[in-house]
Amino acid sequence: MKKTGILALLFFSLLFLSCGKGSSTGPMIDSVKKKGVLRVGMSTFVPWAMNDKKGSLIGFEIDVAKELAKDLGVKVEFIPTKWSGIIPALLTGKFDIIIGGMGITEERKKKVDFTKPYEYSGMSIVANMKNAPGLRNLEDFNRQEIIIAVRLGTTAAEAAKKYFPKARIKLFDDESQAVQELLNGRAHAVVASAPLPEFQSLKYSKKLYLPLKDTFTREPIGFALRKGDGKSVEVLNKWIDEKWSGGFLDSRKNYWFRTRKWAGQIE
Amino acid sequence: MSKTKTRAGLKYPDLALFAFLVIFIGFVVYRVSYSLEYRWDWGVIRQYLFRFDADKGGYVPGILVKGLAATVRLSIWSGIIATVLGFLFGVSRVYGNFFLKKISYIYVQTVRNIPSIVFVFIFYFFFSSQVLAWFGIDEAMSDLSPVSEEIVQMLFCKPSLFTAFLSAILTLGIYEGAYMTEIFRAGIESVDRGQWEASDSLGFSMFQQMRYIILPQALRRILPAIAGQIISIIKDSAIVSVISVQELTFQGMELMASTYRTFEVWIIIMVMYFGLTYTCSFFIGKLNERMDRKGYQR
Repeated sequence: MKKTGILALLFFSLLFLSCGKGSSTGPMIDSVKKKGVLRVGMSTFVPWAMNDKKGSLIGFEIDVAKELAKDLGVKVEFIPTKWSGIIPALLTGKFDIIIGGMGITEERKKKVDFTKPYEYSGMSIVANMKNAPGLRNLEDFNRQEIIIAVRLGTTAAEAAKKYFPKARIKLFDDESQAVQELLNGRAHAVVASAPLPEFQSLKYSKKLYLPLKDTFTREPIGFALRKGDGKSVEVLNKWIDEKWSGGFLDSRKNYWFRTRKWAGQIE
Repeated sequence: MSKTKTRAGLKYPDLALFAFLVIFIGFVVYRVSYSLEYRWDWGVIRQYLFRFDADKGGYVPGILVKGLAATVRLSIWSGIIATVLGFLFGVSRVYGNFFLKKISYIYVQTVRNIPSIVFVFIFYFFFSSQVLAWFGIDEAMSDLSPVSEEIVQMLFCKPSLFTAFLSAILTLGIYEGAYMTEIFRAGIESVDRGQWEASDSLGFSMFQQMRYIILPQALRRILPAIAGQIISIIKDSAIVSVISVQELTFQGMELMASTYRTFEVWIIIMVMYFGLTYTCSFFIGKLNERMDRKGYQR
């Protein structure tokens, strides 16, 4: 038995030894141009990226990624990935870049490199009328009996922990589950990037309401790349500057976040 | 196995149980539809099963049906891998030299003592990204001709997602292979010792003993168990949704994230899995009956 245990240990250590650094072969931008394909990691977030009726992807991030690929002169390929595992998937080379509404945080910067912000987003909150009525400011939610549902691994989860340290935070794999928890009355509020809470409060106007008119954080959103790829970051930063001044980013933002013209494509 | 079908009349306890079940189901339905105030909307789901495509002038599968097809492909491939591995390791567990026996023992014990979800993550992030990268599969997949692209799509999945799919079938195959190994080992060991000795004294070589005497008997006995394990593979395949393989569960969860129709989508997924595995069990049941009729001992 002892010998077997040692053998098993050997087997495991071999397994881990085989996991050195990911293959880092020059700047990502160069290899993408060589391959002719930009592989984009993303995850479903309404309205950043979602499936339409035809099963194809639409949303703000999808438009941005397509535009970027067009300007680089390559094809784009989307790799839908669970948000909670998206950074490891980038690091292990499952795709070249994350274009998925990823907020730039110090914590994430330790693992990936970010470009300049190509968008700003903020957290807002939506609450249940029945079990949490009449709450009007942030402090109202910072109480022990309050349960806040958020999506795992998002900046919403961090914001909820930071702003409501006393409240209980429940983590879910995606927003639809968090919202379902709220509708079921097992949570008092959901924190998520605007405009999702607003849309939910409109959709379920008899059950949910918006305690705060505005977002309570403002966070920059950037493309995430594997570490130590200065050249690609530089190229992308230049591209982002151009798209800000050319009005592309603003117009896309208006379409996806300020209107709901796209809603017919989904249901 | 004798087949005596007796239909006993319904007794009071049965009726009470039946009434209880009806009330319980009614209560659940009531809670979901009234208390939760969940707005059911099955109309939305239809287009994710099949939708009319104006360009092609016909119905095309929606993402849920595509997900189901991916689950079927995933299960078939990992079923094949698991069976092959199970056979090889099962045989070496019984006949192998010391080294082979140990290897096979470690394989079975390692896999069976790790939760499948942990195994999936370890294999996907540490192992497959390194090992599969050596073979340059990504590069090979990106410059396929349109025809071979179509073939890959039909047999596996979209070429762009091939590595993830490949590591999923390998992971599932290796995982289920450990259970298959035990099935094969049990089958081989169940063949009476006398059969060995008889064939040995008749001058059969090791290979001939296996080929003509032992395996035919063992396989017949373990066929139902193998079939059952393959059904297990279909169910376990839902696990690889965590590594973003686009099978039924993953597609369903993506759809829920887009449409927020949580209950409808889960129910459809449940019905699809049930349909798939129940059909398989039905045919396996038929196969067993046939073998019984033919008088194979089990």
